[in-house]
Amino acid sequence: MKRKLTALAVLLGLGLAKLPLEEATTQHLRDRQLLSRPIDLSLRENLGQMGFAASLGGLRSLVASVTYLQAYSAFENVDWGKVDSLFQLTTRLQPGYAKYWEEAAWHMAYNAASNYLYHSNKPRAIRHQLTREHVQRGIDILDEGLRYSPKSGILWAKLGEIYARRGLNPLTEQFEELDSQKAGDCYLAAAENGALQVYERLGAYELVKTHDVRSHRRAYEVLMKNYQAGKKTPALIHNVKLLEERLSIPTAQRIPEADSMPGPQVPARR
Amino acid sequence: MSTPTSTAPQSVRFQPFSIRRVWTLASATVTQLVRMKILAFLVLFCLIVVAAGFAFPVMNPEQQLKLLKDVSFGALQVFAIVIAVTATALLLPRDLEDRTLYTILAKPVPRFEYLLGKLLGVLLLIGGGLLVMDLVLSVVLWLRQNMVLDAAIAGLAHDHMDTPENIAAQQAAVAREGLTWGMHTGVIAIFLKAAVVAALALLISCFASSTLFTIVITFCFTIAGHGQQLFRDYFFHGNFSAFGEKLAGTVLAIICPDLGLFDIVENVLNGIYPKLADMGYLGGMGLLYVTGYMIAAHLLFVEKEL
Repeated sequence: MKRKLTALAVLLGLGLAKLPLEEATTQHLRDRQLLSRPIDLSLRENLGQMGFAASLGGLRSLVASVTYLQAYSAFENVDWGKVDSLFQLTTRLQPGYAKYWEEAAWHMAYNAASNYLYHSNKPRAIRHQLTREHVQRGIDILDEGLRYSPKSGILWAKLGEIYARRGLNPLTEQFEELDSQKAGDCYLAAAENGALQVYERLGAYELVKTHDVRSHRRAYEVLMKNYQAGKKTPALIHNVKLLEERLSIPTAQRIPEADSMPGPQVPARR
Repeated sequence: MSTPTSTAPQSVRFQPFSIRRVWTLASATVTQLVRMKILAFLVLFCLIVVAAGFAFPVMNPEQQLKLLKDVSFGALQVFAIVIAVTATALLLPRDLEDRTLYTILAKPVPRFEYLLGKLLGVLLLIGGGLLVMDLVLSVVLWLRQNMVLDAAIAGLAHDHMDTPENIAAQQAAVAREGLTWGMHTGVIAIFLKAAVVAALALLISCFASSTLFTIVITFCFTIAGHGQQLFRDYFFHGNFSAFGEKLAGTVLAIICPDLGLFDIVENVLNGIYPKLADMGYLGGMGLLYVTGYMIAAHLLFVEKEL
């Protein structure tokens, strides 16, 4: 009996001694981003008891994969509400995985928005409203994803793409630039955070379209850096020439005329 | 005249602790468990990995690889926990039933060596199983990674987009989701969690009345252990309101191990790899739990009437 009581005392002693150690280890691993925060209890209803228990039991990544597959299936069935809610679950389960945020935003801003615009029998005004709402939903998803992964190049690049390509023109019912300033900033942030270097040039091209002189100076710096690195593409040279005129760059500092060749006309906007 | 030589057997001094005895017990335990066909799970795992690797060809390359890893690591975790609970729970009752326990303890084998040998045997089995499954996963993932990359580059070439920059980006994306050395640290974390659960199951089996009781109670502790962070939050920050909740939260925080600590796998699969110091933290916590539970198990087992 004495040893049983000793065993109980050992367990209680261990229990009390381990608590601060567990707390310190948890904090250390969270600081190192190795351990996620505990799952939000409000997800229980959406996941179901089994899914919730599994995600609590260390199978969060697997449960996220299952909800991702369900979202994919909903996408195949063109059920946008379900796609959105299932991707919400998926991204809540694995908020640090940028690809889930990117794909969720792509479904909303591209697939759902285009589907409502071109393949819906609803009245024109409703179609336009739904299209704009879904483009905005895509932006909101990426903004939220960037709160978890602010250094994700792919999320900045996708956000830039949406601002550069997903503005609805109600007259032509075509997509065009939504906000060149934001698109440029996002593309440049993408390039700074590990996305393809082409996004640096794309960001500068977007900034050229604005009316802001500071943005023009920034675009000029970026494009000249690329020019000096040997990237003398027609679009780059055309935009440099445009900026040389707008910023009144001294003749001695301008790029040689020999490099210049006809490029697309880029009107200034906003 | 020849000198008389002693023909009497030399007395062997009894050693209070012998690593050889523990090893003998551990290897016998592994044999015993292998005969129970517990490793049939390995075949099932291989089927799951191959199915997950080739079941979703329509998804993008990175998602295909991520899904393969998620499913495989999920299966690894289930294998490790299920074996840790069931195999350990079966050991003592089976030895009693076979009367092997009496044969062993009739020899000069201290009871703590017996327990240590049993635990080591289970850990060897789990470790070996995880190693084989990790190897199978690595081979399938490597093959799938190459297939997926070839297909992606062929797709870029078809669209005349196969610039060096695009190819390099595709290679980097696939490599990020593919086979890496850091991925194996996730397997080590799974092993550490299984070791804690096995030690807990051994402790419970030292006072349990039946195998079923051990299995059910250990599973309950395992589930509660994954939510222990929530109970601990109460202990340090006091989030519960009712007295019953407070009491239950405190008790569970004290008696349950924090198994959620070892759940670094999901972030490892996302490319965040632990450093040696991080693994030291995890290993240290694992050792603390196992040592504590083994001391308590020994104290209970010494008094157990066999």
